[in-house]
Amino acid sequence: MSIAVIFIVAVALAFDFFNGFHDAANSIATVVSTRVLTPRQAVAWAAFFNFVAFLIFGTHVAKTIAGDVVDSDLLTNAVIFSGLLGAIAWDVITWLFGLPTSSSHALVGGLAGAAVAKSGWVALLAEGFQKIAVFIIMSPLIGLLLGFTIMTGLYWAFHGYHRVDRLNRAFRRGQLFSAAAFSLGHGGNDAQKTMGVIAVLLFVNGHLDKAPDGSIPIPLWIVLSAHTAIGLGTLFGGWRIVHTMGSRITKLQPASGMAAETAAAATLFFTTYSGIPVSTTHTITGAIVGVGTTQRLSAVRWGVAGRVVAAWVLTIPGAFLIAYFAYLPFRGAA
Amino acid sequence: MRLGRRQVFFLGVSLAFLALLPPTPPEFRWVNLAMAALAGFWFVLLTIEQVAARRAEPHEGDQA
Repeated sequence: MSIAVIFIVAVALAFDFFNGFHDAANSIATVVSTRVLTPRQAVAWAAFFNFVAFLIFGTHVAKTIAGDVVDSDLLTNAVIFSGLLGAIAWDVITWLFGLPTSSSHALVGGLAGAAVAKSGWVALLAEGFQKIAVFIIMSPLIGLLLGFTIMTGLYWAFHGYHRVDRLNRAFRRGQLFSAAAFSLGHGGNDAQKTMGVIAVLLFVNGHLDKAPDGSIPIPLWIVLSAHTAIGLGTLFGGWRIVHTMGSRITKLQPASGMAAETAAAATLFFTTYSGIPVSTTHTITGAIVGVGTTQRLSAVRWGVAGRVVAAWVLTIPGAFLIAYFAYLPFRGAA
Repeated sequence: MRLGRRQVFFLGVSLAFLALLPPTPPEFRWVNLAMAALAGFWFVLLTIEQVAARRAEPHEGDQA
């Protein structure tokens, strides 16, 4: 394995680490804002379940990233490196502004930008992009609807129950499980994106062959290293975004926190099993808005939610442009 | 009868899922249909709740 390949694998794992760091807020915001766990406990809890996700989920999402976004025959080390650079740069910029944008879409946008800079629009695979684009819109809406439905179900089930303290204690315990489920979904979906990038890098350099069905297989060491990186990233997670996710979109109680996390986890489980790379950030935000809507629409601070949506819309074009320009010096050298 | 904001919201969500049917890959279209149905269910239920609440209002006023 050449030094260039090892270096790009390290950059990919650094992206995964930063993904965990950046998205730690999603996994723990509700559990921290409802004071079920202290921030330190919540981070450790989320990091553990991020890591063990590899035991539960397959590698469908990794295969989508490796083979369905950009024509893998047109990829080079420089394209993959520039794509990662675009995604990391976008993540850093949005992190500095405290915006919960999607690392996943930054990665897709970055890879696409670098590939287009090399080979033009023909490098993009329409079918894969279509699937991802549709679920950019659908995943937060699914989270929203499930969040609203679960929260309403909880209201119906417990509205006659007057021992509020006991109920709150039960929901706090429930939130431990829902936070764990959401962290599993986060680890499963997000870590796989980096696995896909590393797999395609190894394929480009002749270290991996395509399977008979045309997909790129994902070796176990890639799975383990990606989950380790995202778990460590979550462990060192940033706190700027926790504030936006946990309290500024809507005020959460133990029951609503549990409902939001359960709804988001269900959405992530489905998309991960279906091989759809979605944004965990979009999904949990949609779910939080959904539970907020059960009170009344004005319980949701739509200005904050709108700022988040604006950041989402800009993510793929933003990372695309950075990666596009990052690739230009390599094109000159080629 | 004027629809409340929440009803309009869920009607919009339901229509959004239906509008996304054509670009959705065929194997996932059931998700659009299921979610459109769920949003439609909440639209209908919230509308019934609103109608029932409006009917109850003058009745309560009579008693007072």
